[in-house]
Amino acid sequence: MSIDESKKSNNQSNPIKETFRVYGEVSTFVRANLFGIWILLFLGLWLLSVALRNNMSATMTSTQLLDNWLYNLVRPFPSPGEVLDALYKMWSKHQLLSHVWSTIKLNIVGLLYSTVISLVISYSSVIPIFQPFNRFVKLLRYIPFIGFTLIFFSLFTIGWPTKVAMLTTGMTFFLVTSMTDAVSAIPRMKYELAKVLGYNDWQIFYNVVVRPTLPQMIDMVAQNAAIGWIMITSIETYSRNEKGIGTQIYAYYSTNNLPEVYGLLLIIGIIALVEDGLFSFLKRYLFPYSVIAERG
Amino acid sequence: MIEREEIVPGPLNKVELLEPLLTLDKVCQEFPLNNGVKVPVLKDLSLTIMDIRSKPQIVSILGPSGIGKTTILRIIAGLDRPTSGKVLITEEVTNNLREVKVGDVGVVFQKYPLFDDLTVLDNLIQPAIRVAKLDSKTARERALEYLDKFGLFQHSLSWPVQLSGGQRQRVAILQQLITGKHFIILDEPFSGLDPVSINNVIKLIVDIANQHTLNTFIIITHDVTSALIVSDHIYLLGREVNEKNEPIPGAKIVKEYDLIAEGLAYHSDIEDLPRFIKIRKEIKAEIFPKL
Repeated sequence: MSIDESKKSNNQSNPIKETFRVYGEVSTFVRANLFGIWILLFLGLWLLSVALRNNMSATMTSTQLLDNWLYNLVRPFPSPGEVLDALYKMWSKHQLLSHVWSTIKLNIVGLLYSTVISLVISYSSVIPIFQPFNRFVKLLRYIPFIGFTLIFFSLFTIGWPTKVAMLTTGMTFFLVTSMTDAVSAIPRMKYELAKVLGYNDWQIFYNVVVRPTLPQMIDMVAQNAAIGWIMITSIETYSRNEKGIGTQIYAYYSTNNLPEVYGLLLIIGIIALVEDGLFSFLKRYLFPYSVIAERG
Repeated sequence: MIEREEIVPGPLNKVELLEPLLTLDKVCQEFPLNNGVKVPVLKDLSLTIMDIRSKPQIVSILGPSGIGKTTILRIIAGLDRPTSGKVLITEEVTNNLREVKVGDVGVVFQKYPLFDDLTVLDNLIQPAIRVAKLDSKTARERALEYLDKFGLFQHSLSWPVQLSGGQRQRVAILQQLITGKHFIILDEPFSGLDPVSINNVIKLIVDIANQHTLNTFIIITHDVTSALIVSDHIYLLGREVNEKNEPIPGAKIVKEYDLIAEGLAYHSDIEDLPRFIKIRKEIKAEIFPKL
């Protein structure tokens, strides 16, 4: 075997090896298959639990402890068919799209406001006078949300303004924490490079602090957008007469309509997937160097 | 082999010294240890770099690792203030001697930091516009000219993360030059390089220094041979010893070599000269006594 041939055979991918190798390059083919396998696994487990539930409810005796435990475990899961039926029913009769759009709108507006506010607070942390305020905002993420609701109710009209204010505030506490960490992680050498070049304070602020950290800020927003979705469902329940996925989940959950609840959660999952993809695209498109730098 | 006489023609041993360019006057620097005790790193360190007529110059500050070379660099660059003592620099326009401030002296740091979010070309253009106040067209033309002259033209649109160490070093030096600085200090430019790369870096430093007669490069290094090849003047950094032959904390300039007077500057094949070999041996014995 010549050197070239041996190199070639070494480089030839073995899908099984690729799948389990630590920190290896994975081909698109293997990656796509792995993705498919996990989806099948998820669906398989789902169907299995439904089959188990149907089977057990017919044969179970109350003395069998294991049966009881398993039954309780799988009982809440509706079948895929039930979830699809529920989704169709909500879409055709209960304005599903309008509820989804209302929540997406709330999420976008909240994310936008909290991003702008958090960027200002985080970037200002390089200026000593603002540091105590930054620290205070970061600490607020430990305070239970109920502590702020009364303030919001007295400051804003109940409904859309309160919801936006709650989501913005809640996300800001977390965003400021992550964004300030990104700002603190700027190496001292970068500041010193700008200083010895002769940059003034504002030029250093823009060229060392703001501009180079923007790609990380997109990452921070993407990570904290998820926290936003966790908050949204509880925030929407504060004004239940309005539209939104949160109000719907609450309503269906309290009336024990679990297929509808899981249907709505599935929609949130799909939105999250799209949102993550959009953030990743935005970062690649706006800051191509950051992707090259991450790859090393 | 670097043939400096081809690059800087001029008579040997006859260089007219003008006024001081940079003066370190009894500079002391102390740092607290973890137990709170303050330890002197530099003690009464004084040196003067004189201007030489119509020639760029390269000066080296030589010393072993851990002696305080980077501390000197930071003080000369104005990044740190000394505990006592002064660093004075001559203003280019008025010729007045005044205390150094950050931005007066260009620094090429050891890891060659650049603005990673800007292309190589923009890494040169932006400082040229912001600091040297060039208009964007002139800045672009000058940046491209530099990149072309130093073999980086095809990397103009690369991101700094895509460059090799040597290419980063070149961009880092050019970035300081394009802001109009003539006083540039380089931290360990030969560190971790193989002999071929060291020769390339020496040639690069000489080439870049020769871009302007006012250029003065200070090289901070522990590499005796490279410093001797590239420099006109060498300052040895060391510690004095007490009667028990133990080093006294706090480094200072223990010796200096005027390589122009020694006939070792602007000379080809200097590595083969007996005087070069002798001085190298002497310096090694001085700064690495146990070797």
